Amino acid sequence: MTRAARLRHAGRAVAAWLVILALMLPFLWMVLGSFKTARDFLSYPPVWLFRPTLDNYAQVFADNAFPRYVLNSTIVAAGATAVGLLLGIPAAYAMARWRRTAIGIVLLAARMAPGIAFLIPLFVACLELHLVGSYTSLIASHLIFTLPLAVWMMIGFIEAVPVELEQAAMIDGCSVVGALLRIVVPLTRQGIAATAILAFIASWNNFLFALVLSNDQTKTLPVAVLGYIGYNSIQWGALMAAASVITLPVLALALCVQRYIVRGLVSGAVTG
Amino acid sequence: MVALVPQQPARVPATVRRWLWRRDWTPDLLLAPALVATAAVMGFPLVFLVYMSLHKWSLIGYAAPAFVGFGNFAALLGDDRFIQSLLRTLYFTALGLATNLPAGLGIALLLQRDFFGRGFLRALLVFPMVATPVAMGLVWVIMLDPSLGIIRYLLGCVGISHPPLWLSDTNWVVPTLVLVDAWMWTPMVALICSAGLAALPGEPFEAATVDGASAWQRFRYLTLPLLMPMLLVAAMLRLMDLLKVIDIVYVMTGGGPGHASETINLYNYLVALSYDKIGYGAAVALVLFALVLAATLGLIRLRRAT
Repeated sequence: MTRAARLRHAGRAVAAWLVILALMLPFLWMVLGSFKTARDFLSYPPVWLFRPTLDNYAQVFADNAFPRYVLNSTIVAAGATAVGLLLGIPAAYAMARWRRTAIGIVLLAARMAPGIAFLIPLFVACLELHLVGSYTSLIASHLIFTLPLAVWMMIGFIEAVPVELEQAAMIDGCSVVGALLRIVVPLTRQGIAATAILAFIASWNNFLFALVLSNDQTKTLPVAVLGYIGYNSIQWGALMAAASVITLPVLALALCVQRYIVRGLVSGAVTG
Repeated sequence: MVALVPQQPARVPATVRRWLWRRDWTPDLLLAPALVATAAVMGFPLVFLVYMSLHKWSLIGYAAPAFVGFGNFAALLGDDRFIQSLLRTLYFTALGLATNLPAGLGIALLLQRDFFGRGFLRALLVFPMVATPVAMGLVWVIMLDPSLGIIRYLLGCVGISHPPLWLSDTNWVVPTLVLVDAWMWTPMVALICSAGLAALPGEPFEAATVDGASAWQRFRYLTLPLLMPMLLVAAMLRLMDLLKVIDIVYVMTGGGPGHASETINLYNYLVALSYDKIGYGAAVALVLFALVLAATLGLIRLRRAT
């Protein structure tokens, strides 16, 4: 490399570091804020160094309802993920091996339709069935995105499994379901884990469905966090602590499935 | 005797029976559970939505839904707030695409060659798009606070001492929300472009370098056209989600100040579920769905054409 080329390369590296670290500012500010006292919060210019306090976290968890919201979010996300995968894996298997793609159009429509288009009728139906505020309604509504996600992701993983393995098993007397359970599922373990994590994150982050279909007992975290903004006061520190508690587990999960995330976001959309 | 009802049921023609027997039903059985669930949580609601949109419908009170034909759709044309929210959403989407795509491509280009810490930076890049939007929206509200916010302070450090009031200024509120949305989703565009860049063939670039093409020329006449399919994928994803934007608007401004940041999806939510005009809201939802569908299909067409 010439000197100029080396300089350009170094310049690009420095620029990349600066830009991406700058993008992390909201996370830094959130976590810092969660350890600030009200006084540190209200000082200007903003303080970077201060005596950290755990009061905000104590306040958040002292509220009896908060652990309940964590539990609600976990139940709903785990339920929507489990059901999505249970229904999605066989469907993906059929689509990958028998080229049954008709259902794909429906799932693609789901990616395009605004959530509200499903939400209004689902809300009215749930009112009739007395399901508003139940975990059932929340999990069922989250299937709208976890099921398509599971199907699209799993098609890719299943297609990567050599079909000869299944053929050999079937010659030895294995049924189709047997081949799916004994060969495809074990071989796509990693893919299943990645899919499960992505579906869990999507459900954990969902706001609109939970806002409408939950009640005070079944509220999930994204809805509950709004409670820290009152009509005339915002509890800054508690809000930042709650936001950290909601967000940080998601970031940790996302790190595990880093290389599948974009695929998860894209795969539902390119099959046009 | 001819008039008697035949005792035997009509026989299924032999060819159909053979087809039913020979057809391999395995994949259909595998698909069935997913299909039933899809019909229940997606198919049924969409059909019900169309039905609702043809009625005057409210949940409070005992009035039964009244059929009004296309009355709800006709009323939309005269609904100033609806038209405003529609135009605002188009403005939001245009601003979003115009910022996300170049910025995402720029970040991807910065990450194209290997350097110290590239893998680490790529991992960080995943965070904004997976973090809970509601929580991050609220963090941004605090950061953008016009008197105490860190953004005001940082701008002051670079000499901008009178920044706009961001979310409180009717002219700035949409660009500010676009900025927050861009913070969340530009990294996704960057990662998609990055995957595209990694898959570029090497030879044309070597040939161009040998022929003396400048860096700009290589970008303009090689990288950009070769990357176009990936850029269009990113554009399509962003287009769909920008037209539907609601979460961050709901938590950051609630559509305010006034209606200055009310997007069509938020208006839709308010009309249907806060103002209890279910039928009218259903009509708005169908229009929004049609809008997303038309925009996406338009972009797919464009992709086929290139």
